Amino acid sequence: MGIQDIIEGKKQWRAHVARVKALPPDYQIVYKEIQKYLFKVGPIDLPDGNLLSGIIDFFEEGVAAGKGVLELIGNDVAAFADDLVKDSRTNADIYQESISGKPNTAEK
Amino acid sequence: MDDLTEMLKGTLEGCVLQIIGSEETYGYAITRRLNELGFTDVVEGTIYTILVRLERNGLVQVTKRPSERGPARKFFALNDAGRKELAAFWTKWEYLSSRIDNLKEGGQ
Amino acid sequence: MSFWETLTGSDLTREWKAFEARAEALPADYRAAWEQIKVKVSPHSDFTGRNLMPILDGVLGLLEETAADGQSVQDVLGDDVDGFCAALTGGEEARDYRDRWREQLNRNVAKKLGQLGG
Repeated sequence: MGIQDIIEGKKQWRAHVARVKALPPDYQIVYKEIQKYLFKVGPIDLPDGNLLSGIIDFFEEGVAAGKGVLELIGNDVAAFADDLVKDSRTNADIYQESISGKPNTAEK
Repeated sequence: MDDLTEMLKGTLEGCVLQIIGSEETYGYAITRRLNELGFTDVVEGTIYTILVRLERNGLVQVTKRPSERGPARKFFALNDAGRKELAAFWTKWEYLSSRIDNLKEGGQ
Repeated sequence: MSFWETLTGSDLTREWKAFEARAEALPADYRAAWEQIKVKVSPHSDFTGRNLMPILDGVLGLLEETAADGQSVQDVLGDDVDGFCAALTGGEEARDYRDRWREQLNRNVAKKLGQLGG
C-alpha cells in the first residue's frame, strides 16, 4: 500500500465518519454496533468500504422516510448484519485455506 | 400470518428476483409489494441485505436515480445471470412444492 | 528462523514496514492490542506471510478507524483479544465467539437505544 492510498483512504474514511455523525442518534448507535461486529467477523470485502457506505446510503433513505432504525431493519440487528455478509469470504476462510495448503490467488 | 420468517428465509430471494424481473424497482417498493402480498413481517432491512447480495453476485443491474425527497435511490433490474437464477428458483420451487403436496396427500 | 524473521526478510519487508509505521501511529492501548494480535496469529510453519498480509491489513484498518473515531480498544475488541484472533483465523472456537458477538451486538443496541429514552 502506497502513501497515496493511505491518505486517500483516510480522507474517504473521514467523509464516511462525517456521514455517520449526521445520522439521528438511534441510527448512529445501530450503525456503530454493526460496524464493530463486521470488523470483528472480518468479511474480506470490508476494507474496500462499499459495504459500509452502502449501509449509510440505506440508513439515510430510512431517515428521509421518517422511520426509526429498528422499524427499518427489524429488532434482530445481528441477523441483519449476518445477512449482509452471508456469502462473503472472511479473513478466517483465507487463513484456513492457506494452512490447509489450498491454492490461493495471492500466490499465483 | 405469524412466524413465517424461518420458512420464508430460503425463498425470499426468489421472490425478490421475481419482483425485480417484472419491472425495474427499488428496495422500499419491493418491501411494500411483499407486505401487500401478506408477508407483513418483512422489513426493508431484510430486502436491503438480499439486494446487496444480488448485486455482489452479479445478478442485477443497478442504476442510481434521484428521488423526489431524500437521497438518490438505487434501482434494480435483472441481467441475464439474474434471469437464469430466477428460472432456477422456480424450477426448484416447483420441485419442492409438488413433493410436499404429494406427501400431504399421501401419494408417493 | 522465526516466522516474523522470514516475513521481514522477504520481499514483503516494505509492506511489513508500512504496517509497523501505521501501528506506531496508534494510541498506546491499540498498539498493545496490535502486538498481542501479531503474536496470536503467528502462524503454522507452512503458512506464508503473503497470506497473512490482507488479514493484518484489515486488522490495522479496524484499529486505525476505530481509534480515529475516539473509541477505546476495549470498546472494539472487548477484553477478548484471544477471541478476536480465534475468529480471525477461523479456529475451532470461532463459531462460539461469533455467537457471543452476535448476542453482544443485540444487547448493546437494546441497552443504548433504551438510554436514548426513545
